[in-house]
Amino acid sequence: MAEPAKLELLTRRPGKPGFEIHEVQSLQAYLGFRPGRPPETEWELTPQPRGLDGSRNYILKSHKRDNYLLLSPQEYFLWEHFDGHHSLNEISRALHFKFGSFDFEIIRQFLGKLYLAGLLNEIQTTGLRRSVARRHERWWEGPFAAISKYWSRITIRVSDADHYCAALYDRGGFLLFCWPFLVSYGALLIGAIIAVSRLWPHMVEIAGRVAARPLLSTAIMLATIVFVAMLHVLVHALACKAYGRKVREMGFFLLQGLLPTFYADVTDIFLSSRRVRVMVDLAGPMVEVVCGSIAFIGAYCAEAGFAQSLLFGAGLVLWESALLNLYPFNFLELDGYNILADLLAMPTLRQRALALVRRLPHRLRSGKMPDRAEWIQLGYLALCLVSVLAYIIAHLDAIGVELSVRRAPP
Amino acid sequence: MRSATQSVPEFLHKVAFLQDLDVQTLSILTPLLVTKKIKSGAVIFRELDASDALYIVEQGGVVVSKHVAGEVDIVLTRFHPGDFFGEMGLFDSAPRSATAHAESDTVLWRLGRDAFGRILSDHPAMAARICYRLVMVFIRRLRATNEQAREAIRWGLEATGYSPEETPATFGRKST
Repeated sequence: MAEPAKLELLTRRPGKPGFEIHEVQSLQAYLGFRPGRPPETEWELTPQPRGLDGSRNYILKSHKRDNYLLLSPQEYFLWEHFDGHHSLNEISRALHFKFGSFDFEIIRQFLGKLYLAGLLNEIQTTGLRRSVARRHERWWEGPFAAISKYWSRITIRVSDADHYCAALYDRGGFLLFCWPFLVSYGALLIGAIIAVSRLWPHMVEIAGRVAARPLLSTAIMLATIVFVAMLHVLVHALACKAYGRKVREMGFFLLQGLLPTFYADVTDIFLSSRRVRVMVDLAGPMVEVVCGSIAFIGAYCAEAGFAQSLLFGAGLVLWESALLNLYPFNFLELDGYNILADLLAMPTLRQRALALVRRLPHRLRSGKMPDRAEWIQLGYLALCLVSVLAYIIAHLDAIGVELSVRRAPP
Repeated sequence: MRSATQSVPEFLHKVAFLQDLDVQTLSILTPLLVTKKIKSGAVIFRELDASDALYIVEQGGVVVSKHVAGEVDIVLTRFHPGDFFGEMGLFDSAPRSATAHAESDTVLWRLGRDAFGRILSDHPAMAARICYRLVMVFIRRLRATNEQAREAIRWGLEATGYSPEETPATFGRKST
């Protein structure tokens, strides 16, 4: 980190000759800085359910920039004190009395978050941050940033999604969440289970017919998956509207920078209850379950042939997709992960777990054992690792079996 | 206050804008310079004063500052023996852009605009050499000013807790 910036000031005393020179470091001014919240009309604060460690997080929404911040208990304390009257020096002392020993860097980081969200009075962020930071970048950071920039452009956004979703919800979308429809989903599921149990003895013939036309089968399956994935995201958005919250945007992006997928930004549900969040999370995978069920029932009703095989295959793929989506331990922030994070009241479970792993060796060396919340984070990571390894081993095993079958003499 | 003699003071050889002049040429210039002794803490010129001369520092030190608020100025730069300041006053008649104080007991040599005008008309070759060096100094000082502006902005950012090293992230949930 660069040395703190300094300013030299020349001061005169009225009516007296001469002058004095003072060197003022930015740090001195920083301690005297009195950050102020904008008026209450520009933001909204919602408490979240208490976590396992008894602490409570808060969601702070900026109406001006339409973005959200997750506040830890310490950050909430700071926010309450950023009233424009208390200096950072006073606030940091108060924070120390309230929470005991803590990392003062939290104040600087929180101020950074507020600047980005436009939640501090009279100070606006500009491109200056990047131009100042550019002086310190390492040789590989330039090309890396350029690649990241182009990679991140693989994104399609519909920013006016709330308008379209509201219209769709009002013109019939609400029916999806009515009791008769919910009951019919259950009936479809039961019907599908019966259909699968009846068709299961004929699995070899069904699979054989799909394998006989691999290109056509793959193309139809892919089209089905893409279509249902779009429907999945749309139902998430409609569920969000069903609970009266806003859909910030919808589109296509790379999940965690890797996995191409459709998405609906439903962050606004954090201003509702935990139950609502879980319901919105569940609404998406229900699409795969219902569509898969319809496909299975269709396969059961159809005559034996390519169409029946395709329907059965689609049902399998969609149910597997729902299962993967609901399984929380795969390092991906899919619906199951979101439900788990909501139930544990740890909205940033994955990030916190990964951050914990990075500092764990140092923590253990200093003799400080993880607390309850940290054990949960470590447990999450361990289950993710085991699950991913099991998934890889199972698929390698399947590939091995397939190869040995092909090599075997007829 | 006294007029400079025909002999060329040694320190003039080290002054940046005179470094292309030989002894003979310097001896033509020297009589045009006027010495001034300034007490420590005294004002040499104030911001918005009429501007009509350049000063060369022979002894002592000068601090140049610009008014910010009340009785507070921000220090722009300092000058030491061999340095010169106030050169803008040679070329335009706009008021002084900053205030100059003597930081200690100081001896200055003043080159007035009238005297510089005589050099331009009577000794064009010498004037060209001086002007070339002055331009080089202007460029250097402009670069220093840019750097100073950057530092002042960095100071402001740091003072308000705005850290360029941090990349704070907003919170969000994208259902997939």
